[in-house]
Amino acid sequence: MSTNLSRVVFSSMLIFFACFFVFPIWSTVKSAFLTQSGSFTLEYVSEVFLNEIYRDGLMNAFSIAFWTTVGCLIVALPLAFCYVRFEFPGKTLLNSLVLIPMILPPFVGAIGVKAMLGQAGAVNSFLAAFGLMDPAHPIDWLGEGQMLGIVIMEVLHLYPILYLNAAAALANIDPALEEAATSFGCNPVRRFWRVTLPLIMPGVFAGGTIVFIWAFTELGVPLVFDYSRVTSVQIFSAIKDLSGNPFPYALVVVMLVLSTLIYGVSKWFFGSSSSGGGGRATTARETVVLPMRTGIACACGFALVTFLAVIPHLGVLFLAVAQDWYGTVFPEALTLTHYRDALGHELTLSSISNSLKYSAAATLVDLVLGVAVAYVVVRTRIKGRQILDAMAMLPLAVPGLVMAFGFLAMTRDGQMFDWLMIGENPVLVLVIAYSVRRLPYVVRSASAGFQQVSPSLEEAAQNLGATPERALWRITLPLVAPNLIAGAMLAFAFAMLEVSDSMILAAQSAHYPITKAIYSLISSLGNGPNIAAALGVWAMMFLAVTFISAALILGKRLGALFRA
Amino acid sequence: MVSISIRHLTKKFGGQAVLSDVNLEIEKGELFFLLGPSGCGKTTLLRHIAGFYEPDGGAIFFDDEDVTDLPVHRRGTGMMFQSYALWPHLSVAQNVAFGLEERKRPRAEIDQRVNEVLDLVQLGGMGARRIQQLSGGQQQRVALARALVIRPRCLLLDEPLSNLDAKLRMEMRSEIRRICKEFGLTGIYVTHDRDEALSMADRLAIMDGGRLAQVGSPDEIYKNPASRMVAEFIGEANFIEGRVIRESSRPGQYDVDCGFATLRSRPNNDEWRPVQGQAVQLAVRPEAMTFGDVRDSPNRFPGRIISTTYLGATVQYVLQVTDEILMKVCEMNPRDIRVPSRRDDVMGMCSVADLVMLRK
Repeated sequence: MSTNLSRVVFSSMLIFFACFFVFPIWSTVKSAFLTQSGSFTLEYVSEVFLNEIYRDGLMNAFSIAFWTTVGCLIVALPLAFCYVRFEFPGKTLLNSLVLIPMILPPFVGAIGVKAMLGQAGAVNSFLAAFGLMDPAHPIDWLGEGQMLGIVIMEVLHLYPILYLNAAAALANIDPALEEAATSFGCNPVRRFWRVTLPLIMPGVFAGGTIVFIWAFTELGVPLVFDYSRVTSVQIFSAIKDLSGNPFPYALVVVMLVLSTLIYGVSKWFFGSSSSGGGGRATTARETVVLPMRTGIACACGFALVTFLAVIPHLGVLFLAVAQDWYGTVFPEALTLTHYRDALGHELTLSSISNSLKYSAAATLVDLVLGVAVAYVVVRTRIKGRQILDAMAMLPLAVPGLVMAFGFLAMTRDGQMFDWLMIGENPVLVLVIAYSVRRLPYVVRSASAGFQQVSPSLEEAAQNLGATPERALWRITLPLVAPNLIAGAMLAFAFAMLEVSDSMILAAQSAHYPITKAIYSLISSLGNGPNIAAALGVWAMMFLAVTFISAALILGKRLGALFRA
Repeated sequence: MVSISIRHLTKKFGGQAVLSDVNLEIEKGELFFLLGPSGCGKTTLLRHIAGFYEPDGGAIFFDDEDVTDLPVHRRGTGMMFQSYALWPHLSVAQNVAFGLEERKRPRAEIDQRVNEVLDLVQLGGMGARRIQQLSGGQQQRVALARALVIRPRCLLLDEPLSNLDAKLRMEMRSEIRRICKEFGLTGIYVTHDRDEALSMADRLAIMDGGRLAQVGSPDEIYKNPASRMVAEFIGEANFIEGRVIRESSRPGQYDVDCGFATLRSRPNNDEWRPVQGQAVQLAVRPEAMTFGDVRDSPNRFPGRIISTTYLGATVQYVLQVTDEILMKVCEMNPRDIRVPSRRDDVMGMCSVADLVMLRK
């Protein structure tokens, strides 16, 4: 690519980010600090801290995030350790299986959990059947323990992020560092605490930060659990009482500041030292082949975690085929009518086609932008290209809710970008919102591709008479195609199941994407939840196909996409 | 084929000069080597000729055509990369055909020329293979074929043999030289391997810190190095400090006071007339030194052997002449191997022609 073209790409990317990443955030921030007459005020933000309901919401969001992170650590660390250090039966398969929850939408899973943990749900029926509970006085798992349900759901969804980060950090440790500790007389347990753990802390913390922020701002799960005493849901409910209300904006700003703070603190603590002990491994690590029994126990551990993680989604599956699931462990009578109904329901067909349209368009945008950004960052020496890189990755750290709100704010009537909202039709806004939020996946996989393809391959083509553009087209693009396909698939799949933007930006049922349709079906009467579950199963099957193909194309490199 | 003229070429990377005022004339059909330690600017110079870098100043001419601003794809050079840069998604034949396709040659001509050039590099019949199926040596030949098939205006080789094992490297040296000569190619070859340069080059340039330290034939540079750096880079050498006393009775030979002895030496170039009292450096190759005591030889001095290293074909000794001066001496497969001693019991000798005087 010629220098001029790179500059054009670079500046248009900066403009794009300025308009659709910085500006939405800025719009939100502005709305939180300006009164209706346009003067600056701190009243709204301080009100957030003074009002008991909002304060309560923040505290709850914080404890959900905290306990989710702790839960993920407890689940993920031992698994990661076993995976890196030991050889046991079925290791490769189990390593992939344990990542499955990552791709199952927790939002959908929550429907299943609700069905199973309800007062007449599967768990209570199970307990009653074994005489462990008095059927007349069922335990109300969700009544008092909504927060527990949310935490469990999120732990089961998010632990793969920590698992991947911890496993990468463990694998990066130079074995010689541990061998040195042993040679100075350190026993394995002390060695773990004094050498291994400090070395993997940066990686674990990086993963932990993502989990924490994700749980802190999660909207879908608490929404399905009907838990309103948490900030994200408060924000969501507040937009219903119309545009004049500044408090949702103030709440979003507080959330953004806290997330950034958490992100910043963790970067500051573990900043540049993320290499896991500095430098390359000097010796190869030998994985310990576990004796048969321990090995099987280890494999069972993996299997158990996977099983627990898919239980909510099994619940969804049951719910989707249940004619009647009330007061029994398993559904009584099975039926496929919900699937048929799901496909016949006015909301589902339109929502599926909406989601397909929005996501496909967003993926296309992401492909073009992602390739451009990755190329400029990896292959050119333009000043400030690191800024571009950081910007393209930043949407990972900014809560979806914040972005969604920003888009809402900047497309209100009379705002600079109100033309993006065509009448009430949010298609442009949603495509842009999806593409900004999913861009990191494409950028990351495209950059990885460009890094693997030596620049001399392109130089050789130019040397033999190909223009820079032709060299890119004939040589580099075919070679990075697998990465691009995989990145695009991820972007597409995640766009299909996007929650925050879809919930907030799609106002009319004719424009609902799948997620919002599921949400509105859950709360509708009659067999609504069953149809919602059926729609969820369709979505999960679709996701599974996408991910399996991506995994087949990318092989082992798939995991790298989720690492911090 | 073209002659290449490089005029006042200057390049900085981030304020650091990597090429400073490089001037070089490479003749038509010449196999020219750029030799130097890593970071000396030799690859940078080659990449300027190919067009991958734009110079900060100066110009590059192919014959009379100024190509300085010509983009890479219009220069018509054929480059062989250190990593070969073969495209893994294309077959051998597709790799080789690439340049002809970009030149929009008819398909029949492309196929014919690809087959010819594959035969030339002894890969006939391997066109359908994938790159990954080839050995390192075969990949190397594909890279050569790919550069040759476009009938380049000049051939640029960037350390093409550095990834091969020693035996294959020897074979490819003569192969590449044979092909260059057969087609009368102007070739510029970058390497840090002095044996490669000495054995293959028509002429070579030694580079140091972004400048040309010396340009000449292998023999000229080996025998008359322009500086200590060149002398050391192109081979092993002993250096002795001294001051010029006078021109000796033989014109072009000078007596130099080296403290421990007065030695007779010749300047490293004919135009230089050292003046009396000038501080100079004398250089002599270890294999030009002998042991013995020939009366009328002007350059002989007593010393003791302090170490002996047996290397099979040669034996290397370290001769201690004074407390400070240690000299390396190399004997070809001697009948008796000398052993280290505590007394000054040998005489080191070298001829006047082999003791070269360098400016300090």
